[in-house]
Amino acid sequence: MATPLDIVKKKRAQAVSKIISKGYLSTKRVYVGMATCEIAAGSKEVMAVFKDAMAKGLTDVYLSQKGCAGRCNLEPTVEIVEEGKIPVKYGKVDEKKAREIIERHIKNGEIIEEWLI
Amino acid sequence: MPTNEYVITLCDGPSCLHRVSREVRDAVEESLEKHGKSDSVRIHLSGCLGMCSKGPIMIVNPGYTIYGKITPEDAVNIVEQHIVNGQPVADKVVNEDHLYNRFFRIFGDNDFFGKQMRITLRNCGIIDPENIDDYLSLRGYEALAKVLTDMSPQDVIDEVKKAGVRGRGGGGFPTGMKWDFTAREQSDQKYVICNADEGDPGAFMDRSAIEGDPHTVLEGMIIGGYAIGASKGIVYIRAEYPLAIKRLEKAIADAKEHGFLGENILGSDFSYDLEIRLGAGAFVCGEETALIHSIEGSRGMPRPRPPYPSQSGLFGKPTLINNVETWANVPVIILDTGEWFSSIGTEKSKGTKVFALAGNVNNTGLVEVPMGTTLREIVYDIGGGLPEGKKFKAIQTGGPSGGCLPAEYLDTPIDYEHLAKAGSIMGSGGMIVMDEDSCMVDVAKFFLQFTQDESCGKCTPCREGTKRMLEILTRITEGKGQEGDIEKLERLGNMARKASLCGLGQSAPNPVLSTIKNFRVEYEEHINESKCRAGSCKSMLSFVITDACVGCGACRRVCPVDAITGGRKEKHVIDQETCIKCGQCFEVCKFQAVEKA
Ligand SMILES: Cc1cc2nc3c(=O)[nH]c(=O)nc-3n(C[C@H](O)[C@H](O)[C@H](O)COP(=O)(O)O)c2cc1C
Ligand code: SF4
Ligand code: SF4
Ligand code: SF4
Ligand code: FES
Ligand code: FES
Repeated sequence: MATPLDIVKKKRAQAVSKIISKGYLSTKRVYVGMATCEIAAGSKEVMAVFKDAMAKGLTDVYLSQKGCAGRCNLEPTVEIVEEGKIPVKYGKVDEKKAREIIERHIKNGEIIEEWLI
Repeated sequence: MPTNEYVITLCDGPSCLHRVSREVRDAVEESLEKHGKSDSVRIHLSGCLGMCSKGPIMIVNPGYTIYGKITPEDAVNIVEQHIVNGQPVADKVVNEDHLYNRFFRIFGDNDFFGKQMRITLRNCGIIDPENIDDYLSLRGYEALAKVLTDMSPQDVIDEVKKAGVRGRGGGGFPTGMKWDFTAREQSDQKYVICNADEGDPGAFMDRSAIEGDPHTVLEGMIIGGYAIGASKGIVYIRAEYPLAIKRLEKAIADAKEHGFLGENILGSDFSYDLEIRLGAGAFVCGEETALIHSIEGSRGMPRPRPPYPSQSGLFGKPTLINNVETWANVPVIILDTGEWFSSIGTEKSKGTKVFALAGNVNNTGLVEVPMGTTLREIVYDIGGGLPEGKKFKAIQTGGPSGGCLPAEYLDTPIDYEHLAKAGSIMGSGGMIVMDEDSCMVDVAKFFLQFTQDESCGKCTPCREGTKRMLEILTRITEGKGQEGDIEKLERLGNMARKASLCGLGQSAPNPVLSTIKNFRVEYEEHINESKCRAGSCKSMLSFVITDACVGCGACRRVCPVDAITGGRKEKHVIDQETCIKCGQCFEVCKFQAVEKA
């Protein structure tokens, strides 16, 4: 009989493949901070910008939300993780900045130094 | 500006430092210089990385290659082979994969995060808290499965004891012992409670932990239930935390669906269920006996202990109650072992502690550091120092039950004992940095006002004592302090400390007594000279216009009570009798001609 450990390991494998099927292996992973305070600071709007861009055809992006990473004075925060590169974290992102991040960073690979945390 | 092609992290923690990491650092720097890489590689010093036995430790990112037992020669080698030629040095690589490490992979490249160590918050800010797959993918519920597969309840308790973890809710009681006591009780029914009341003003550790990673807390609670033989767990959380509640509800539903809760969990013969109870948000309801009363449906008032909840808790049954953070440590202790956990921290305080860093510091936010990190490291390395070049005055730890420590105590390592010795407490983790503009009498008054409001009123020393103390403090801040007030505060404070029934009353005088101890002159100045050196007690303040005035009239126009007179291009004058000290003239004057005196 399968032990609890076997069951959980199987569940993990399934979870991983589900995450991958949602595009986790895309070239860029984008995480938007969605804790209470981040939402109060406007992160829902920022999230909407990314969702909208993806609906309108932005590809090679995996979008996800996350909880508090601790930079409470710099929220909303957006983080972009790319395999083999140092993760990039942007602070005080609003809708306008989010659109620029999409154009400059995601589409053109430019890191926008002045907004970095 | 370094382009950050690579980030090299060197451990600057206590054990590694003792293993000559300074020389390693020099070697790395020289070697980078030699190969012309100084501009594209950032070197970063971190706090303990939890791999002390393999220290000194060096991490190369991206790729997250951990090197251990590094000598200066190894360091040069790594720079040449890995950084310059892109070939990791295989035989120096440490293949330890602790649960918290992935946090470091993503965040450990700046001062704010580098000095931190995230065990409790290991997934917080990394995973999508509303997606159980994210949690499962990072070994979620594996600790529970391990426990159910090959550990007896006693094994689990022993592991928690070995870890040396102590309650993070404030008291610091050894968690393993509490589990053991509850496990030993004989009863047809036992309960597990997660205390997520979090009433301290300014604290948001528990809320953020739940919002960022709710499953970790649930997993801890299920394991606790198995260890003590309970079949029911309750999360007591305040209703003011709607997002945390929503994520908990989702997490519970998802855990049920996956068979982590309910009958015969993962095919074992252990059955356990969890539910959420909402608190109305009174500070005293965080006290365990009051919390239990509140769940039972009566008024949240403390009762004398013993009997402790471990003997007679919810509905008179043995009850294991722990704080959110305490629960979040449990899965790590099971998977990374108690022995590993106990290698982090100080002799009597193991692991890490989460703080809500606030006040006059550049980086405010949620931080988690190994026990033993000094207050100075938190304020200056992680917090980035005080803004506007202001001078550090004090740090308040432990919320309304804590104390204020002046600069002499900045090198105090944070753990239960050292903080207590310094005259403050760990508490649940509020930490407020104050600069020279904070008036310590006013700070004491602020916290006492809070506890006085929140006192349940059951016992006289707390109800009346805090009220009298508050009256005296109010008098002092209004410039009406009297000879003997300080002694009266001390007397009343000590009385409330000794004679109150619960921790609220017992600790309420702490902010007052600690400020008297450390900043007595300020009290004396207020009383004897009507002087508030921080310039924050309004009644002692007067605004005066100096010769720098050019007579622009801006202040005259803004003054709500017409206290300012003067013609165009003439020096203006404030009538002190009429002035209500609103400070608007001070704000508006572009010539710095209005001074606080
Ligand atoms: C006035 C008062 C308020 C408290 N508030 C909290 C709280 O908000 N959260 C908490 O976990 N513990 C709080 N405690 C401590 C609890 O009584 C209890 O010790 C704790 O929940 C036990 O968990 P631990 O051993 O994991 O720390 C409070 C205690 C007192 C006296
Ligand atoms: S010490 Fe204060 S809060 Fe605690 S039981 Fe007494 S009156 Fe109530
Ligand atoms: S605003 Fe300043 S300069 Fe202008 S009248 Fe008032 S004190 Fe003088
Ligand atoms: S402090 Fe306020 S009330 Fe007093 S003079 Fe200035 S503006 Fe008028
Ligand atoms: S609580 Fe908001 S980012 Fe920390
Ligand atoms: S002090 Fe370096 S790993 Fe612990």
